[in-house]
Amino acid sequence: MTRGARVEAVGLLTGWGDGVEPLPADARAAAGGRGVIPLARPALDGERFRRATRECLLGVVAVEAMLRDGGIGRELIRGPGTALVFVTAAAYGASNVAWLATQAGSLHFPYTAPSVLPGEVAIEFGLTGPYVILIGGATAAVDGIWQVGRMIAGGQCERGIVLAVETFVECEALWRRARWALPGPLVETAACVLVGPGDTPPEYRASATPALLERQVDTRVGRTMAGAPLAELALARAAASRRALVSGTWRGRTAAIEMAIAGRPVRV
Amino acid sequence: MATPIGLDLDAFWSGLLAGADGLSAIERFPTGDLRVGRGGEIKKLPPVALGVRSRAAALLIAAAADLRARTRVDAAADRIAVVVGTALGGVEELEHALAGDGHPRRALDGLYDSPAHALAAWLGARGPVLTVSSACASGATALGVGADLLRAGVVDLAVAGGYDVLCRFVMRGFDALRSLARERVRPFDRRRTGLLLGEASGLVLLVREADARGPRLGRLLGHGSASDASHIAAPDAEGRGLQSAIRAALAAGDVGVADIDFVSAHGTGTVLNDRIETAALRRVLGNRAGAVPVNSIKGAFGHTMGAAATLEAIMCLMAGRDGWIPPTVGYEEPDPACDLDYVAAVCRPVRPRRMLSTSLGFGGCNAALVLEAIP
Repeated sequence: MTRGARVEAVGLLTGWGDGVEPLPADARAAAGGRGVIPLARPALDGERFRRATRECLLGVVAVEAMLRDGGIGRELIRGPGTALVFVTAAAYGASNVAWLATQAGSLHFPYTAPSVLPGEVAIEFGLTGPYVILIGGATAAVDGIWQVGRMIAGGQCERGIVLAVETFVECEALWRRARWALPGPLVETAACVLVGPGDTPPEYRASATPALLERQVDTRVGRTMAGAPLAELALARAAASRRALVSGTWRGRTAAIEMAIAGRPVRV
Repeated sequence: MATPIGLDLDAFWSGLLAGADGLSAIERFPTGDLRVGRGGEIKKLPPVALGVRSRAAALLIAAAADLRARTRVDAAADRIAVVVGTALGGVEELEHALAGDGHPRRALDGLYDSPAHALAAWLGARGPVLTVSSACASGATALGVGADLLRAGVVDLAVAGGYDVLCRFVMRGFDALRSLARERVRPFDRRRTGLLLGEASGLVLLVREADARGPRLGRLLGHGSASDASHIAAPDAEGRGLQSAIRAALAAGDVGVADIDFVSAHGTGTVLNDRIETAALRRVLGNRAGAVPVNSIKGAFGHTMGAAATLEAIMCLMAGRDGWIPPTVGYEEPDPACDLDYVAAVCRPVRPRRMLSTSLGFGGCNAALVLEAIP
């Protein structure tokens, strides 16, 4: 890689609340036996969103949360200079189940495609740069962060957004069948990281052992699949860390990436 | 590969050159309530895929068996990546799960990344397993991501490509959108009325140039992508995202427009796509636009969604190897709004060296590949 990359801002919304402050010390205990800790449908008005699904709106508000965290205006990310990487293991499940369950519901078929969530985000924020959409759990998020770093290094973009959305409520019954594979609680998450140019390239490990931050997120957030590595970055940024090793485990593989984190903007 | 016109590379290629028709009445699930009940259905899977629970995984394994019959997938297990593109993943398994199949694995099989993991297990690959889902542009991006993993030294081999299954879920969807043609698919033709869907899988083995041993089909010189940021279900009216993706792919491959000998178009056969894609290609190709042959193979067996771009990339490389460009099945009457040099009716004796392949998908996804044949 010819250019480095660093995390500029992080937005995190989970079923526990906005940011890292509401996260419990022990997600399993806090869940009190609940299988899913849900996120509410964001209240975004307007004709443009009349067909948008809950998960699409969550993607939009995650980007807004990231912009607030970085003290960044929308104009910075608008245009071809910003790459968009979307990762999810399950956010398409709600629309897929709805489409299968209804013969003529109100759902517009294109919204069953995972690519429509980042498509809505791209429209909302005017993102016309390169994109990658990865389906999978936490490893996909780590792979996605690496992709953004690679695109910055290669000059394909000036900065990149990694967006993860995971929703579970609509498919809770199905997830319960697989409880042996995914011990709960399943915590809905919409998280977004802005990666910009930095001094040092991210160190990516396609095969790794779980990092301390991953274990912390598992304990404090619960199961959030693709959202986990971004939640790890939120924890690291909240702790004023200037460099973090984050990892993600999914289907028996753990991937990790170590990268720099920018300081928070001074607010006066 | 596994397609409606052939269950291996040789059958696929000879079928394309012969103008084979892989479209037929769908038999595997009911279509009586739909306006259109035809598509590119694979009537019989190869033996290697029989007994695999998920049809999506079965299609991938069928393609992998064909690949392994032609080349050695030979590297340390943790240095082999699997990168596949799909628009639908294991959604048919979700359909089964909701229909009362209570097997706990059915729910997990419904996840879009499950077929890729089934493929990795079949191959014995333990490197990164990535599923790309940028709708009908997925297969192109998957090849690009596989190449990125190789260039970065993350792995030594990447089994990359795309797949999708023709199932009731997607037939109902496109039927509701009124996007399906009642008669034949006619890409770029004046009488075109829509697309037909198909199912297929296609995989290639990617390896770094320096590590290549034995015969090779070609090179992936560059790939590019760009978001339209304009509409969820329709391409940008000016084709701006597609132009950006093409230019990015050309730049990544350090290839100029003058070097492109052939374009494999997305060419779905819908009124809008073909007109906008033509205009975008005309803008990028400039004064060479009328001189570069263009085809679409979707008239032969339908739009195979996540598999389409991989099949088209393979077709490009085979054209360069053998010196024949397959015809655009269904193209007969020129449309003034589609004024490129389409390869019509019969295959054309041209040996392209450098090729451009374009793909578009729901959500404003655009992707392009620049390929080079090794004759």
